[in-house]
Amino acid sequence: MNRKITIDPVTRVEGHGRVTIHLDEYGQVKDSFFHIVEFRGFERFIQGHPYWEAPVLVQRLCGICPVSHHLAAAKAIDQIVGIDPKDLSPTATKLRRLMHFGQVFQSHALHFFYLASPDLLFGVDAPVEKRNVVAVAVENRELAIKGITMRKFGQEVIKAVAGKKIHGILAVPGGVHKTLTENEREYFLDGKNIENIDTMIEWSQAMVEFMKNYHEQHRKFLDDFAFFPSGHLGMVNKQGGLDLYDGLLRAVDSEGNRILDDISTDLYQDYFSEAVAQWSYMKFPYLKKVGRENGWNRVGPLARMNVCDFITTPLAEKARQEFIAFTGKRVNNSTMYSHWARLIEVLHCAEEIKILLHDPELMGNDLVRKGTPRSKGIGIIEAPRGTLTHHYEVDEKGMITKCNLIVSTTHNNDAMNAAVKWVANNVISRKGHITDGMLNQVEVAIRAYDPCLSCATQAMGKMPLKAELYNYNGELIDEKYKNG
Amino acid sequence: MKNIKTDKADILLIAIGNSGRRDDGLGWEFADKVSRSCGSLIDCEYRYQLQIEDAVMVSRYDTVIFADASHTELKEGFEVKPCLAAPHYFFSSHMQSPETILYLARELYNKTPEAYTMAIAGHDWGLGKGLGKDAELNLQKAISFFEKEFVPAVRKTA
Repeated sequence: MNRKITIDPVTRVEGHGRVTIHLDEYGQVKDSFFHIVEFRGFERFIQGHPYWEAPVLVQRLCGICPVSHHLAAAKAIDQIVGIDPKDLSPTATKLRRLMHFGQVFQSHALHFFYLASPDLLFGVDAPVEKRNVVAVAVENRELAIKGITMRKFGQEVIKAVAGKKIHGILAVPGGVHKTLTENEREYFLDGKNIENIDTMIEWSQAMVEFMKNYHEQHRKFLDDFAFFPSGHLGMVNKQGGLDLYDGLLRAVDSEGNRILDDISTDLYQDYFSEAVAQWSYMKFPYLKKVGRENGWNRVGPLARMNVCDFITTPLAEKARQEFIAFTGKRVNNSTMYSHWARLIEVLHCAEEIKILLHDPELMGNDLVRKGTPRSKGIGIIEAPRGTLTHHYEVDEKGMITKCNLIVSTTHNNDAMNAAVKWVANNVISRKGHITDGMLNQVEVAIRAYDPCLSCATQAMGKMPLKAELYNYNGELIDEKYKNG
Repeated sequence: MKNIKTDKADILLIAIGNSGRRDDGLGWEFADKVSRSCGSLIDCEYRYQLQIEDAVMVSRYDTVIFADASHTELKEGFEVKPCLAAPHYFFSSHMQSPETILYLARELYNKTPEAYTMAIAGHDWGLGKGLGKDAELNLQKAISFFEKEFVPAVRKTA
């Protein structure tokens, strides 16, 4: 008999999603879907608000990624007041970068230690009581303490520049509203009150080593699990180096051929389109010239490793070289290498934070600049989860008339569906009995992309994630809820 | 900066809620009021939700109170209960129970503060600022109990 499996909620991701797997009468997977079933419509209700409210309002999209939305919106709104990234004062640029690196650092630490580490430490088919951060804390005390301390360090960086860890404000149109004081800077350097930035770098290096060792022991799993070819998209600087805050858009296909050649972020509309599907509120962005079927790209840490020519900080660049040497290919299409790539970025952010903390311009007083107002602004940054686009248009009174958000997780929509299909076909298909461990592997595949479903659909409220199993008659015959 | 407190008070009050969702702001309002009346005796922290790293902060105090709005009707309008460490786990990363935070404080930092939950009954969870009339009454009762009975009892045993 045909069956349909539903995983609802998908756990240890940010937001509410559902997976359905359809089986035929032989237990073979016919199809699978990763549905996003929450909707809010932020793009619509921001219309009519004055432009300067955007960087503050859009933070409310999410409690996990507010900094990314704040900064992407700020970059767009800078243009509304006539300021391009190169015109921003050095102090404002550096403070925003510091905030951004603090955000990526804490977000990646949260994902690795709190969400992903149970899968790596206890195995993808570990019993449910092991698959959480509490079990990690009990069995790997030192790792847990480091994870908590690293996340807290990133949050403290955000708090120092924005006043609050969540929903704080740094950016204003054309700059920032505060500088960093000497005391605030020393707080992160002297190690008197919290572990200092040198310790963060040391621990970040240790985590990259942990992942390298894990790779040695589990290479086949990392290579094969949820492997599929795809394009990869990310931002690079003019020299081709990784740049998380500002740069040019670059995409490569699954073989490493350039399919988007370092275009200015202002031109994104000329190159990207978004498709919709009946079964999900999350859109499907793709490169127009490649087409809907093959034009989608992965974004995030793995994609960024794949598109950049180098990393601008020495320790992270060394780690990237080792990462490439291990995979032996120009482009890595293995989903699980995302975790390794993410830890390399943790190290990169720690190095960048240290460089900025020693830069006297961080404490400058040239905070805000103004230019000739314009009617359109496009801000793109590399958020922790990938390329994030904010596009605003305003009328002559400065009221927002159009808002288009292409959120990182949206770019990964096709990738997450491809990952679910891989697990459905390789783990669940033709098995007489569906185990909890099998279903967890669906989640492991999704979780590698660190999706933020609340951002992707701009949803609100309670957000559990849900798996359903349907037979060939379309009847629900098994389901799984994970509410806690 | 006062992120890691060296000059800490005797009691840590962690207020959980969201003042933009009407009565869900009860926990924060409770913290606002008692911090004024109890002064240096209490350190107040405000949270939308409890997070794992809150275990670090909790581990630095001998007495901790988690104050939050309650969806359930309560006989006195509020309810104070002892809170014990337990490894509850929620599916998301950013919503932990007080019991789990205490559990993590014990397992990771070898600290088990005496802890309580203060639940205050609310009714209106819509968007907007300000408490409803009933929630306001329940808040007053909770504050009165806290100031007149709870704090003196803690001081006596400290």
